[in-house]
Parts: sequence; structure tokens; C-alpha cells
Amino acid sequence: MIELQSVTKAYQTRVGDHVVLDRIDATFPERVSIGILGKNGAGKSTLLRILGGAEQPDAGKIVRAGRVSWPIGFSGGFNGSLTGEENSRFIARIYGADLDEIVDFAQRFAEIGEYFRMPVRTYSSGMRARLAFGLSMALDFDTYLVDEVTAVGDKSFQAKCHAAFSDRRERSSVIIVSHQMNTIRKYCSRAAVLNKGRLSFFDDLDEAQEAYEAVA
Amino acid sequence: MSDAAATSAAHAAETPKPHELVRGIVTQLRVVHAVALRETRTRFGANQLGYVWALLEPLFWIGTFAGLFYLVGRTPPGGMAIVPFLATGVVAYDLVIKTSDRGSQAINANKALLFYPQVQTLDLILARGALEMATFVTVFSLIVGGWAFTVPRFRIDDLLTVMGGMGLAGLLGMALGLVFCALNVLTPTVDRIRGPLIRPLFWISGLFFTAESLPATIREMALYNPILHCTEMVRSGFFPSYSGHYADPGYVGLWIVSLLFIGLTLERKVRPKVQLT
Repeated sequence: MIELQSVTKAYQTRVGDHVVLDRIDATFPERVSIGILGKNGAGKSTLLRILGGAEQPDAGKIVRAGRVSWPIGFSGGFNGSLTGEENSRFIARIYGADLDEIVDFAQRFAEIGEYFRMPVRTYSSGMRARLAFGLSMALDFDTYLVDEVTAVGDKSFQAKCHAAFSDRRERSSVIIVSHQMNTIRKYCSRAAVLNKGRLSFFDDLDEAQEAYEAVA
Repeated sequence: MSDAAATSAAHAAETPKPHELVRGIVTQLRVVHAVALRETRTRFGANQLGYVWALLEPLFWIGTFAGLFYLVGRTPPGGMAIVPFLATGVVAYDLVIKTSDRGSQAINANKALLFYPQVQTLDLILARGALEMATFVTVFSLIVGGWAFTVPRFRIDDLLTVMGGMGLAGLLGMALGLVFCALNVLTPTVDRIRGPLIRPLFWISGLFFTAESLPATIREMALYNPILHCTEMVRSGFFPSYSGHYADPGYVGLWIVSLLFIGLTLERKVRPKVQLT
């Protein structure tokens, strides 16, 4: 469970403060998968980083219960000069997990073959995302934060991710940000729209789509 | 933004219970350990000669200055042997400067790691500092150990004082690095003035003189530099013939505590400003 209490975040730009999140109050309950829709630049990734705790809000408070993942997606988290295996070991270490188990699982899940023992900088963006997904699946979080899942890998890898998340639905919740309704429909039962710093929740996905299309 | 809201939220948070504190410390140690291992790979693994360079650089300085001393016919004061005299100075000085240098780049070089919420700037600096200390202690042991084979009798006067001086040098470098690292987030200009600011220290930190060999008026001024106290400490512990009674560990400690205070306050202040992507 993650609860946001009047969370505010602004970035300084040349033309003054740009408010990305404006006094957001929200509750992300346990075992409920929620999609967050927003245009490019609406602040989806910022919201995800704040939910995960990698970034601090300017004001407000975040309450987390259970283990929350880092934002899983294409960017960040890996050191380019280290191999996939070394990066996996690093992440297993900081989460206090069994090294061999994590490395083994990530390698099998990611299916990137011999690249696993090559520097991450040689990876395509899809391969990085595969590794990130493999690792996060190995670590058993209570809440998974996922950034733009749609473009990851080919059909079979997407099916694998979907199956893995379905398996976990009983224990874990997923928060996915995307600018595509299709993704959200595939993974989530509820959705919210992030627009102009405000986050509005919808119990019904069709209503969410309507609201999103109105602003997009 | 409303600072008041943030403050009241902070006050509303409960004081951590003892077992939470222990858990926090365990997590932090785990993170520092993991980052240090990773830094070892990135610091030395970039090229084949990674470890060798760490040793060659101080050796180069020692060689250059030993040559200069020979050319101008100077000998180290108080009958100290030239190699350990220069090694104690160069390694102690380098430990401060390199650690502060590595610390100042801790965020820039490791932004990707701050993606993981349990990794904080302080962990990066602690990991880098620990790695530098381990590196320089090894380098020092190798140089002095190698030299020891060439002399008939070899004895370190007081190993604890040598280690104390090295430890203070490392901590001083870390504290300085933390301040620079936080300032770097505010403005990259800091990185540009850091070089010219630090460079003169090379000449006034006792690499090729001792506090005792200085004229009294100059000595008084030179002793304001905490790095000189570190080199003095290491030398007084190393050489039976050198008392080093101008070395004041408390003075270095005061610098470390003050810099840490400034650095930690700044880091807290600039933390929301670190742009992750």
C-alpha cells in the first residue's frame, strides 16, 4: 500500500517553476493494479520515482507499507561498464537477497543469452528492460512500479511479463504509467489520469479512457 | 513550495524505534558494501593496468622529487630516509585530495544508483572513501615494504600513529568531498574552481618539508592547513627520529566535524534538486 498526502513537486526552469505534481492525495491499495495515464511530460515518471522513494517531494508525505520496487523500465539503475551479471549481483546485495538465486533467476527470465556477461552499455534498450524486468521479478516486491511496459521486447517476452504479473496478482500490486490505454487495459483493473499536476482516479477503465482522450 | 507543510509532516513522523535504527544501519552497511565492490570494478577495471596505475602515480611523484632533492643536493630534515620521507608525505596528501576528488563526483558518476531508494548520496561517498583508504594503505605498504628490502634494519616507530594519520586524512578527504559534492548539485561552477583552490595545497602540506624545519612565523601559518597535520602525524609515527609534536589530531578532527556538519546540511538541502534522468 502506498499513500500520498498532498504531495507536491516542482522543477525549476528558465521560465519559472514548473509544477509537475500539485498537492496530490491518493491511496494505492494492496493487490490492486492501477494504471496511470498521462501525456508525454505530464510527470508520470516523476510520480513513479516519488512513489518508489528515489526522489523526494518538495512538500507532502508518502506512506509505504511493504516492499516497493524501483521504477522498472528502460532508463536508469544500471552501470554501463559492468556486465548484466555484475549489475544483478549489485542489486541483490542492496536488497539483501541471495546472490546466486537472483542472478540465476534474472538470467533465465531476461533471455539475453551471452549478453548477460557483457557490459550493459552494449545492450539495446529492449535488452536493458528485459534485464530490469528479470531482476525485479526475482526480488518479490509487494508493489511493482512499471514505466511504459508496452515497448519491452517481442510478443513472447510481453506474454512472459504478463504471465509473471498475473501469477503475482494474489500477493503484489502493480502501478503502471503509460500514455497508451492498451497497456493499461492489459494489466490493470483501475486507472487514473495525470494532467496538469492533478491525479484523478476512475473505477471504470472506459471512463478513464474518456477522460484521458479529453485531455490528450 | 510550502516549507511549513514539509516540516509539519516531518514532525508528525514517529521517532524510529531501536530495532528500526538497527535495521537502518544494517541496510546502510549492505549498501555501502555493495557500492564499494562496484566502485572497485569501475575505478580499476576501466583498463588493464588499473591497479598498477594506483601504485605508479605516487611512485612517479616520489621518483620526481627524490631526483630533484638529489639535483639540488637537499636531504630530508632530521636524517629521515628520502623514500619513506616522500612516501609518507605524498600518500597522506594524495589520500586527502583523491578522496575529496572522488567524493565530489559521487553523485555525477553514480546517478543511476540513486534510482534505488536505499542508496543515498552519503552511501556513495562512504563507499568511495573506504575504497580510497584501502587503496592508499595498500599503496603505502607496497612502497614502504619495497623500500624496506633495501635497508639493513627496518622499523616503524609507532604504527598506530601512522594509521591514525592516514585515517584522519581519509576522513578529511571524505568530509571535503561531501561538501564539494553537494555544492556541485547547486552549480557546476564549483567543479571549475575546485582545481585552482586545491592545487596550492600541494606545496604547503608538508610533502617535502616538515613543520619543524620551517621558520617559526611561516610554521604558524602553515599549521592552519589540516593536511599538514596529517602528514606530520604519519611521519612522527613512522620515523623514530621525528617527534612531530606540532601535529594536532584534535585540530584535524575539528575540521572534519565542521566540514561534515556543513556537508550533511548542504546535502539534505540539495537532495530534492538532484535530477535523476
